[in-house]
Amino acid sequence: MTIDANGHDPEYQDDDRGGASDEHSARLGTYVLGFALAVLLTIASFWVAKTDLIYGPGIPVALATLAVAQMGIHLVFFLHLTTAPDNTNNVLALAFGLLIVGLVVFGSVWIMAHLNHNLMPMQQLMQMQR
Amino acid sequence: MLGKLTWDAIPFDQPIPLISGAVVILAALGVLVWVIAKGWLPYLWKEWITSVDHKHIGIMYVLLGLLMLVRGFIDAIMMRAQQALAFHAQGYLPPEHYDQVFSAHGTIMVLFAAMPLVIGIMNFVVPLQLGVRDVAFPTLNSVSFWLTATGALLVNMSLIVGEFARTGWLPYPPLSELRYSPGVGVDYYLWAVQISGVGTLLTGINFVTTILKMRAPGMTYFRMPMFCWTALASCLLILAAFPVLTATLAMLTLDRYLGFHFFTNEAGGNAMMFMNLIWAWGHPEVYILVLPAFGIYSEVISTFSGKPLFGYRSMVAATLFICIVSFCVWLHHFFTMGAGGDVNAVFGIATSIIAVGTGVKMYNWLFTMYGGRIRFTTPMLWSLGFMTTFITGGMTGVLLAVPPADFLLHNSMFLVAHFHHVIVGGVVFAVLAGITYWWPKAFGYRLEEFWGKAAFWFALAGFYVTFVPLYVVGILGMTRRLQHYDVAEWRPWLMISAAGILVLIAGAICQMVQLSVSFLRRNELRDTTGDPWDGRSLEWATASPPPVFNFAVLPQVQDAEAFWDVKRRAREMHGSGSEPHYEALEMPRNSPTGFVCAFFATIIGFALVWHIWWLMIVGLVGAYATFVVFAWRDVPEYVIPAEEVARLDRANRIARQEAPYGASAI
Repeated sequence: MTIDANGHDPEYQDDDRGGASDEHSARLGTYVLGFALAVLLTIASFWVAKTDLIYGPGIPVALATLAVAQMGIHLVFFLHLTTAPDNTNNVLALAFGLLIVGLVVFGSVWIMAHLNHNLMPMQQLMQMQR
Repeated sequence: MLGKLTWDAIPFDQPIPLISGAVVILAALGVLVWVIAKGWLPYLWKEWITSVDHKHIGIMYVLLGLLMLVRGFIDAIMMRAQQALAFHAQGYLPPEHYDQVFSAHGTIMVLFAAMPLVIGIMNFVVPLQLGVRDVAFPTLNSVSFWLTATGALLVNMSLIVGEFARTGWLPYPPLSELRYSPGVGVDYYLWAVQISGVGTLLTGINFVTTILKMRAPGMTYFRMPMFCWTALASCLLILAAFPVLTATLAMLTLDRYLGFHFFTNEAGGNAMMFMNLIWAWGHPEVYILVLPAFGIYSEVISTFSGKPLFGYRSMVAATLFICIVSFCVWLHHFFTMGAGGDVNAVFGIATSIIAVGTGVKMYNWLFTMYGGRIRFTTPMLWSLGFMTTFITGGMTGVLLAVPPADFLLHNSMFLVAHFHHVIVGGVVFAVLAGITYWWPKAFGYRLEEFWGKAAFWFALAGFYVTFVPLYVVGILGMTRRLQHYDVAEWRPWLMISAAGILVLIAGAICQMVQLSVSFLRRNELRDTTGDPWDGRSLEWATASPPPVFNFAVLPQVQDAEAFWDVKRRAREMHGSGSEPHYEALEMPRNSPTGFVCAFFATIIGFALVWHIWWLMIVGLVGAYATFVVFAWRDVPEYVIPAEEVARLDRANRIARQEAPYGASAI
């Protein structure tokens, strides 16, 4: 039994039916736009990594920003994440995932920084006190 | 040719594993021969091994869990006996064997007993409660089960071929690194847990999809039974936490197999990162187990109090609160390992806060019972035993959540007593309550009450006699995992604890007697109506055992207590429900994919443990070929004709006319 056997998943059936041809071209258009944006962001990251135009220590921040933007492009154009009502589950799943990843990453970094500080080898500690 | 595998792997010089292994192999062979001689093999293959029916998969999960529960319990008996004997002496278990016993006990009890039992009950109950015909991905469900069984098989194989880990149930580096654990024990652990972890993750995906996407018409989120809510929260935690476990163990595997340095002492490795990551999985894991347990208690208490669950929405909120906050507390497992005061304070407070969610649930159960007409059946006794046990166990947990107190009690027997207090009282009691409660639904006859109650009272008494003394020795300074000791004050308490395990053994025997007696008297205990307990949710609206399609016509849900609502309306209408219109149904075909995949997964795991590379490649190719064959299948479903559906459902409707609770309308 597939999901649509229960008549519960309208999105799923939409995918199967396909629809009119202008719908197809509209969909193709968003894919092309997404692809163009993704390529642009990729090129931008390579450019940022080597450029002198940005303040040197700011480059990692710029790369991180571009990476987050890249994720957004993928989510919207390729995974079709929208704010439509039939997409609530996906948005909630993304929010849950972001929350958990945030908790684990932030928590780990915080904990490990503390452990590194408190469990410093004696020699290093002595050097710091000098 | 055979990698590290030689005749030295078989412990010919150690009588205990050799004899017990031989007994297990002989018993397994005996069962196999019996099955073949009786001609049951085709039936087993068609109806169980290749089944993609969630009910059959659920029952097989529970069976696996019960077998592993017995194996883990035998380990527990060995440890209690060892500590009773090993005062100023070596006891009967040499240290390297004792270390394997406690490692195997923890691994088996959490990952191969508790998890299959909880997931098995979820498998059986959730689709029935949601009023649907199967889970979202039936064949994937079968794959999940068989991969879990593969993990259990690998752990038990280590008893005879090679050794198991001596590191404890979480293989902390640097002890678990190649330099300090050169044997195959940790490798057995890694591959068994990795393979079964894949199965668990697939279960999580399957059930989140099922609960979010497949519910009976009219069943909104706030009309779902509480057990479905807790199953959803538990599966969300599986999705979030199990990848962390897989990644952490994969890093340890790279250290051991390919000379990486994630967690080693040298070359920039950091063992503390392992503690951090493994507990980022480990703490949610205990809620993965205990949330569905809370769901089982909610169903049992509501049914046997004859009242709707008190504070349904607050129960949902408490469940989801626990689901999120369980990811904010993991550091409390290593308060003493060097984090500063502010980190410890934050995680200590978060740990105390998570108890609030459980407190809300406790009051909800109390108010559900308040004013109700309580029937003290076996499942209800387990639930009441849980409430008292879990409250005291939870309070020792809140004590351990206070970092200064934890510095005194960390890794002591007090901790051991605490987590057994909550896991036995929370999860094991729930599973036994759930099995007794849903047994008539699964097999069509009720379980015998006398032996069930005897099992409950022995288990409750035995539990306290075994574990309360461990709190005392913990406060007296005894650390966990001691193979022998020479402190005279501990001795009497450990003797009491060993006596307690005898009471627990009596409880386990009563439980087995209950199952056998009930089977022999099944005709007297027959449940013909499908509703033996005057139930309130949809699983009681179909026959016991349910037909393969669960519901001839998908029920229309109009209330939070779907089946209770139907019965109430039926009474008003004097039971004059008209026969529905039957249609032909499509059901998924059985598939050996899961079993074959697991066969190759076993080969892959075994080959990796012993470094037999050609065999690993054979296993990988086989598993991939199985996947390809499955992906190219032409006919995924078969049709049950409308007359067959009507025939099965009419028999059920006639039986229901005589139902004592007026359930004939459906």
